[in-house]
Amino acid sequence: MSRFTGTGEALRFALKRDRLLLPLCVVGLIGWVGLYVASYSGLYGTQADLNSLYKSVAGNPALVAMVGPTDGLRTLGGATAWETLPVVSVISAIFAMFVVIRHTRAEEEDGRSELLLAAGSGRLATLTAAMIVTAGSLTLAAIGWLVVFLATGYEAGSSVLLVLSILGFGYVFVGTTAICCQVTAKARTARGLVGIVIGIAWFLRALGDTGPEALTWLSPLGWAQSTKAYWDDTWWPLILPVAATATTVGFALWLLSRRDIGSGLIQPRPGPDRAHPSLLHPLGFSLRVQRGSIIGWTYLLFVYGFAIGAVGDNITGILESSDALTAAFAGTSSNIVDSYFATIFTVLALMATGFTIGGVLRPHSEETHDRAALLLAGPLGKVRWAWGHVLIAYAASALMMALLGLGLALGLGVVTGDFGETGRLVASGFAQAPAMWLTASLAVLLFGISSRASVAAWGLLVAFVVIWSVASFGDLPSWIVDLSPYSHVPAVPAVPLEAGPLVTMTAIAAAVTTIGLALWRRRDLL
Amino acid sequence: MEAVIEVRGLVKDFGSTRALDGLDLSVEPGQVHGFLGPNGSGKSTTIRVLLGLIKASGGEARLFGEDPWRRAVELHRRLAYVPGDVNLWPNLTGGETIDMLGSLRGGLDPKRREELVERFELDLTKKASTYSKGNRQKVALVAALATDAELFIFDEPTSGLDPLKEAVFQECVKEITGEGHTILLSSHILGQVEHLADTLTIIRSGKTVESGSIEELRKMTHESADPDRPASLEELFLSVYEPK
Repeated sequence: MSRFTGTGEALRFALKRDRLLLPLCVVGLIGWVGLYVASYSGLYGTQADLNSLYKSVAGNPALVAMVGPTDGLRTLGGATAWETLPVVSVISAIFAMFVVIRHTRAEEEDGRSELLLAAGSGRLATLTAAMIVTAGSLTLAAIGWLVVFLATGYEAGSSVLLVLSILGFGYVFVGTTAICCQVTAKARTARGLVGIVIGIAWFLRALGDTGPEALTWLSPLGWAQSTKAYWDDTWWPLILPVAATATTVGFALWLLSRRDIGSGLIQPRPGPDRAHPSLLHPLGFSLRVQRGSIIGWTYLLFVYGFAIGAVGDNITGILESSDALTAAFAGTSSNIVDSYFATIFTVLALMATGFTIGGVLRPHSEETHDRAALLLAGPLGKVRWAWGHVLIAYAASALMMALLGLGLALGLGVVTGDFGETGRLVASGFAQAPAMWLTASLAVLLFGISSRASVAAWGLLVAFVVIWSVASFGDLPSWIVDLSPYSHVPAVPAVPLEAGPLVTMTAIAAAVTTIGLALWRRRDLL
Repeated sequence: MEAVIEVRGLVKDFGSTRALDGLDLSVEPGQVHGFLGPNGSGKSTTIRVLLGLIKASGGEARLFGEDPWRRAVELHRRLAYVPGDVNLWPNLTGGETIDMLGSLRGGLDPKRREELVERFELDLTKKASTYSKGNRQKVALVAALATDAELFIFDEPTSGLDPLKEAVFQECVKEITGEGHTILLSSHILGQVEHLADTLTIIRSGKTVESGSIEELRKMTHESADPDRPASLEELFLSVYEPK
């Protein structure tokens, strides 16, 4: 009997379990790219449109850092590739992360994988099947993207190259996620680890494209962009993701074949036999439950802010040497660095809303893991308990965004010696919080409606990300753009901080949270 | 004296499935009341209604004479609960979990806590993620038994315990009933129920089929079977469920 015995059954089981979820995700991924392509070919139908885009964007170091090198923008294909590749790649990687972990570490953590192993399934079968399902879904999405490009009239060879570049990045994260699943025994921690690796990949590329080029070659995202689809088709860099996928997949399987089932490479240590006084209050206990992810996210945002702040000054330097760029941005904002920071704030607010939603949905995860009843059978009110988690998530979100601003200011200050921006940047970070609260309050509402509805909150966040990403470079009807709370946050620090929309969003978030909690009080525990 | 638990004609629907179909249950103060029924007959659902975790679809459930759904928090101050499947917070140690659960009821008696931990031989420094089912159950049992609740609700509390700890559990229950506490004990271990319970309710498919003191019920079975031999609880249980 081989260690792969049962891979076929595991594969069929995974497909059956996700028979709705996977097709929905694949169709969503294809539709999203379709939306991009439609909006692009509408916006840049003529060469004159493209030339003016090139003029306004080319060489802008802020955009090079955010999105990637702008050399290919003279053609429609090049412009499409420039905008879609990084964001679609990252979303593909996040998709790979969720699917692989859902079928491996999460199953193991909940004790279900033992049933399969004891029933004669090989030790490597589940992981192998999960990787095949994930890679297969990504491949289907890629075929869909290709069809979209070809149907719109993009050049065939270059389209294949672009699609393969994105797919390669997704594959690398199938393997990377598989490794992270071996390192830690907890699905939540594994997702955090993969998130950090995705962040590092983006950051190395941003640094490499605006500074030492060698860094770009350390990042899988750099590999994907180095194929230069539609303007200087280069096929050989595709070898890099292939090699990285083979290595990571092989390493993950090797780790799995050596470790104990149910544990990670890191073993839990014994702890205190008595509770710290802070645990003896319901709010303190909820804080303890959320502590790990609060510390992780806050640390990440602060470090990220610091690094970007330090690069921000580099951007000012490049900018000042170019009269054309200074002129181009003179009309839109007083300071190009400020508009760069404004975009950073929006992107990271969208990302950090992942924390906020996860935080307000802690009661949901406590409910589904059957821990809530143990607390709620005590003299602890349902609303008081859930509200504690929501309050912690809301407060921590505001705090971590303010610390992102502080990180930016300190990074900038360390390089320039001028810390005068600190107050303004901290306020700009804080200004992102109401939109995050509003999105998360919708998650509370869904949780109040039913336990099963709660997960739809993640779909809402994805929709807001799509709206932001399509609206930033393409063309969307304004009523759709207005649906996203993030569209109503003033683009601080590039524009003056205007309190009106923030107060309104906070008020709506408070009302929706209240309704959600009232519904939760009235519904059955799962 | 007012009944501690009074359930009449309780109905609970989950969508189109009827989990409880007119169930009756009555527990007097100071009693140990056995609650028996096959898997899926509605024991846990009844307990969850009594705990105010789910809302009755029909009929009446009263705890200390009050509505458990509306007055959950107040009523929970007077009871302690141990579920059959104990799921704990993986990052907390057993000791931290016991103290945290105890703090909800205003803190545990440290002496009693120490004594119970010793009797159940529980290692408090281990993280919950490394506990076996039995050890997780011990954590919930210590947290419940170290309180001074008026009512203890046990839902298959010892399904993961070894026979020695099972005996410790029975001793503990005997001790607290001596002090006048009321206990609702749902269990599949008939020997345990026979040993501990004064009164008994047997349910099937969400309905009460037998109820009364153990002696009365034995007599009933006795009449229908061999008149010379008192029926055991096992015979009683089987007589209720075996197809006639």
